[in-house]
Amino acid sequence: MLLPALTPDWSGPVFRYVLEHGLPFTLKIAGTSVVGSAVIGIVLGTLLTIRFLPLRGLIRLYIEVWRGLPLIVTLFLIVYALPQTTFHLTFRPWVGAAIGLTLWGSAQVAEATRGAVESIPREQHEAASALGFGWVGRHVHVVLPQALRRLLPPLVSLLVNVIQNTTLAALVSVTEVLFAAKQQVERLAAPPPAGLLQQHGFAIYAAVLVFFFVVSFPLTRLAAYFERRLI
Amino acid sequence: MRPLPNLMSLLASFEWSFIWDNRDEFLHGLWKTLQVSLIAIAGAFAVGVVLGAGRAHRIPVLSQLAAIYVEVIRNTPILVQVYFVYFGLSEPPFNIRLTAFTAGWLTLVVWGGAFNTENFRAGFEAVPYRYREAGLALGFGRLKTFLNVTLPIGGRIALPSSINTYVSVLKNSALIGPAISLPELTYQAYSLESVSFRATEIYFTLAVIYLVVVWVLSGLIRALEAWLALPEAKRVRTRQQRLWQAV
Repeated sequence: MLLPALTPDWSGPVFRYVLEHGLPFTLKIAGTSVVGSAVIGIVLGTLLTIRFLPLRGLIRLYIEVWRGLPLIVTLFLIVYALPQTTFHLTFRPWVGAAIGLTLWGSAQVAEATRGAVESIPREQHEAASALGFGWVGRHVHVVLPQALRRLLPPLVSLLVNVIQNTTLAALVSVTEVLFAAKQQVERLAAPPPAGLLQQHGFAIYAAVLVFFFVVSFPLTRLAAYFERRLI
Repeated sequence: MRPLPNLMSLLASFEWSFIWDNRDEFLHGLWKTLQVSLIAIAGAFAVGVVLGAGRAHRIPVLSQLAAIYVEVIRNTPILVQVYFVYFGLSEPPFNIRLTAFTAGWLTLVVWGGAFNTENFRAGFEAVPYRYREAGLALGFGRLKTFLNVTLPIGGRIALPSSINTYVSVLKNSALIGPAISLPELTYQAYSLESVSFRATEIYFTLAVIYLVVVWVLSGLIRALEAWLALPEAKRVRTRQQRLWQAV
């Protein structure tokens, strides 16, 4: 009964286009940057707990720069500025967006990891050392498994933030969900045969909002659940 | 094989005079960024205090509506929100045409307000109930108790997290510019690049300006935080420090 009212004739092609052209890029960017951020962030955050000043300074700088810059400025730097430097680094736009998100995300994870690793009591380090573990073994087998439990809620929040921030790729012309939706709004507003001379921006952008809400809300609930259960 | 250039030679290869010649574009953009951010921060503060109080004191209807508002805003991307406000609302059924400036600060108020509602809710809930009882016992009404007791104490508890939200509001103004052609700092840089093709110089300068603004702001904020911190918190910290020194 409700379904015909929610799916007018024009909506079918729009829906299919966003799903077929937009969603793959959103998923690719989100997947790459979540994995990249988690791996780089955990390594940098663990190294940050070592009391070696030059290393600490470098990682601090990395964190402060990528957390301090608005994400869109990072994306512009990577996608537009890097190809023009003497390095001539050129990426496909979605790869550039994924790299930008990874820089930002890994800085967030590094900061969270530092807190989690430092929250493990010193006795755990000492006990592991007493058993003959070196620095690497101590961290891999004793400290990090405990720290990762405390890291789980921030990692889930990171996943939510990364999924939401994939939309910024639309501003560097990656055909992800939002960009595809915008193309469809503009197509429908154009005169026939391409479009219908109709304005459906309200409905389409509302649908994109609903899409992101449906994906993010369960994940934020999950993060809250982990926060209650694991700490 | 061509030797890899290092960062210094990269910087030396920039044409800095180009940036200096176009400094007005950057300054106008920065001014617009600050305008939008200040309006948005003031609005987010007001929204946060009112709805945060509604949440913390469990005022019926207002509390539930505020909870829904917070979840909707926190779980949707701000870029989609600004598209919805600027491109979506201007079409049927609403036909509300906003200027880019209004749409920009409005979106930022709505976005920052949602995060601030949570910040202030946590702050107000952290105020011990006996303080409010003391206020009521002194003959203050509920509103006066809130203004004289809960707000000064809870507001200061919420200060660090709400300040993080304000910095995020300023950073998010950067994506609103290119999204809806609002001539703030990032949009100015973007449009300057599209006529001059000097991407490296322009975006490098843009990044440095943002870092300076964000870092200076964070530094000032940390000083303000220390100054406004509850005397109780300061005392607890010094006691802990003394304890650690003793150990």
